[in-house]
Amino acid sequence: MSDVSSGDERIKEMSKVRKALMRPELGGIVGTVAVFVFFGLFAFDSGMFNAQGIMNWSVVSAQFMIIAVGACLLMISGEFDLSVGSMIGFAGMMIAIFGVTLGWPMWIAILVTFVICVAFGALNGYIVVKTGLPSFIVTLATLFILRGFTIFIPQTIERKTIIGGIREAAEGDWLAPLFGAKIGAPIFNWLGDMGIIATFERGNRMGEPVVDGIPMLMVWALGLVIFGHWLLTRTRFGNWIFASGGDADAARNSGVPVNAVKIQMFMFTAFCATVFAVCQVMEFGSAGADRGLLKEFEAIIAVVIGGALLTGGYGSVIGAALGALIFGVVQQGLFFAGVESSLFRVFLGVILLAAVILNTYIRRIITGER
Amino acid sequence: MKSTMRKLLLTAAIAATPLLAATQAAAEGEKYILVSHAPDSDSWWNTVKNGIALAGEQMDVTVEYRNPPTGDLADMARIIEQAAASQPDGIITTLSDYDVLKGPIMAAVDSGVDVIIMNTGTPEQAAEVGALMYVGQPEYDAGLAAGKRAARDGIESFLCVNHYISSPSSAERCQGFADGLGVDLGNQMIDAGQDPAEIKNRVLAYLSANPKTDAILTLGPTSADPTLLALNENGMAGAIYFGTFDLGEEIIKGIKAGVINWGIDQQPFLQAYLPVVVMTNYHRYGVLPGNNINSGPGFVTADGLEKVEEFAGEYR
Amino acid sequence: MNDPIIQMKNIQKHFGSVIALAGVSVDIRGGECHCLLGDNGAGKSTFIKTMSGVHKPTSGEIIFEGKPMNFTRPRDAIEAGIATVHQHLAMIPLMSVSRNFFMGNEPIKKFGPIRLFDHDHANEITMREMKKMGINLRGPDQAVGTLSGGERQTVAIARAVHFGAKVLILDEPTSALGVRQTSNVLATIDKVRKQGIAVVFITHNVRHAMAVGDRFTVLNRGQTHGTAMKGEITPEELQDLMAGGQELATLEGSLGGTV
Repeated sequence: MSDVSSGDERIKEMSKVRKALMRPELGGIVGTVAVFVFFGLFAFDSGMFNAQGIMNWSVVSAQFMIIAVGACLLMISGEFDLSVGSMIGFAGMMIAIFGVTLGWPMWIAILVTFVICVAFGALNGYIVVKTGLPSFIVTLATLFILRGFTIFIPQTIERKTIIGGIREAAEGDWLAPLFGAKIGAPIFNWLGDMGIIATFERGNRMGEPVVDGIPMLMVWALGLVIFGHWLLTRTRFGNWIFASGGDADAARNSGVPVNAVKIQMFMFTAFCATVFAVCQVMEFGSAGADRGLLKEFEAIIAVVIGGALLTGGYGSVIGAALGALIFGVVQQGLFFAGVESSLFRVFLGVILLAAVILNTYIRRIITGER
Repeated sequence: MKSTMRKLLLTAAIAATPLLAATQAAAEGEKYILVSHAPDSDSWWNTVKNGIALAGEQMDVTVEYRNPPTGDLADMARIIEQAAASQPDGIITTLSDYDVLKGPIMAAVDSGVDVIIMNTGTPEQAAEVGALMYVGQPEYDAGLAAGKRAARDGIESFLCVNHYISSPSSAERCQGFADGLGVDLGNQMIDAGQDPAEIKNRVLAYLSANPKTDAILTLGPTSADPTLLALNENGMAGAIYFGTFDLGEEIIKGIKAGVINWGIDQQPFLQAYLPVVVMTNYHRYGVLPGNNINSGPGFVTADGLEKVEEFAGEYR
Repeated sequence: MNDPIIQMKNIQKHFGSVIALAGVSVDIRGGECHCLLGDNGAGKSTFIKTMSGVHKPTSGEIIFEGKPMNFTRPRDAIEAGIATVHQHLAMIPLMSVSRNFFMGNEPIKKFGPIRLFDHDHANEITMREMKKMGINLRGPDQAVGTLSGGERQTVAIARAVHFGAKVLILDEPTSALGVRQTSNVLATIDKVRKQGIAVVFITHNVRHAMAVGDRFTVLNRGQTHGTAMKGEITPEELQDLMAGGQELATLEGSLGGTV
């Protein structure tokens, strides 16, 4: 470099294509294509790509997406939440206790549960911010506390750890369908009539299509992904999320309210976990003390597959959503492909490792990290 | 970079090939899927796996085993949906939470897949979801029978070591036992967790806090094995009345040594083996037994242990 | 010469029994580069932290634009127009130049009640401001991590200037840089000064100070040896003031201990 005043010759000009490829989502896109090619080859005839099969892995992926969006934004802001899984179990149980045991109207039960869970999220964030302890430890404590309550409360009140009857209690409620209903039934009925998707062959639902609508769970997943992506990339708050996770001190020096950002992200993560829980209890009609076990790690895995940096400051909600899709497709796809189920974890490990290596490589190119 | 990706893909494909080959090179007959509610860590289900393997071999059918890795029943519902989507000839599944599982099971039945309920659930629930039959041991009844037996032996208080607190059927066993004794369950059931060291220490803690406890009831090898260690440690082995559900190698040894008074064998082998045989014959020849099959309870005591001992943990 | 923006009069700062500053007086004027020289431990950091509102002086007076200054937190100083560019803690490498540039001061575009980050505006300004400072970016979305150390300092300086800094405190901006990057940063300082901004340039490198400085103050063991104008002092004399003072102090200290 001979000219002192300009510094651009050292940075190689990048072609448009290469530049377009250099996005945090690249790893997720590549992975998504790869898993679909893989299962297309090995499991095409297994029913994985008929209506029922597609609905199956889509719902599982949508579940992961809901918690991955929260985990993604929180991770970008530099923190973890290990209490997501326990929060799912806890939220479901709260709805069952309020709505079934205490007999409150379901919409009140749902709203109160949201308030309690988001308050727990805020408490997580407050403790992390005020004590400066790693969020790993603080939320690990919350994990146990919430799981403990989830077992203790129903056992004390009802002498059992699974409370059913939620579907019945939610009948006629105005808020519950927002989480438990299915939409687009006429379209699916039509598809069934046209013979495009299979119909039930017997029983009281004979002639109805095997897939009778898009569950609200998937609508929530899509909505949260869009909201998260918009928040992160299009608002000033998004810039603060990046800044808080990238370097909290530098962000504070520039006037970013880092503590408030982090606490709000903890609250958002709790909100996502509660959405997951409400959709689940509305679909299955019961809340159990073991719901959501290990879901926190599944959320983190999806986020990491999607290209986010574990230490914060870098990542993408779209990437996390693709990570969730990959995770869901692989988890269900291995069943379809007939792989011994105990090998599921082996595959998961391999995919996680491959994704992290690929993403690290991409990130180094983008950010000039060394 | 492209080459890196290609390498990764290639590696994944190569790693996967033998697994796929191994599982698909099974029989050419009917395809069945057995779905259990047990987490990966539950060793008791080995007998079930051996049962379906043997039945698959003898009947020349493919039987796959599926379970939710963490024991989350909501995940299990997805597995049943998935199993139905892959269009097998039949599904054999446990019914450990009626609310959660009835939807997916009924959808499977309605889409033309035959279902047999095994292990957990009740005969009534099995009929309710449209299953062909129920093969297993009704949990509450088994607990009740055990409780009555213990009452005859003069027991008035007990400790129920529940290692699977989130499954209602586990609590039903304890409840049945309490009702058989004619006492209130109260705080006599503890959540022991799945970790052997934790189970052992919780049992020790409970017994030192409640030294007047007459009996111990464990719900399977997962809780029985550590409880045996605990009793050896605090010297109550042989002194305290000890009954357990299910069998396993250590439990057999315990019965032989006189530490365990009896084991309730629900004969999981039959729960896995019989549905496969029944379903295959139904699909091939249209024959079906007219009733549910109770695989248990059978009390195993120190008398006539030889056969039990030989196959414990494998077929017993 | 114009009136000083900041006058620091006889500033003392004690941390418990440690006397970090023992009566320092300096004045800072717009459009000039005031170099603050001193070896490690001379009290430079404490001094600039006092000036930027992080520390409150134990005694002494700070007058900012003719009025006594009473900042309770760093944010007050930033809002008043005193910007500090630290050698570290200024830029987030994983974020783009444009996102860094507007961190904490994001431009807003309104869609009814919805307030969006105006990326187009931010990108445009970033490119323009960086060009002014002589850095041609590949694009506004280029990550700061791909920039050299000198370029990062320049981005931080350009950011402070764009958001209305009247006083720019540069804490050892050249200490970790190579020769070429150093000259980039020095050129940037020159450009900023010409815009009428007061620059406080903290360094322990006499040659860097001589290259851009208008006035020079040497700090030693919490005290100043006065302020010299450009041309009144040679690099050798400055070097002696920094190093010689140190030697003298050591000598005195050892004599005082034995005699």
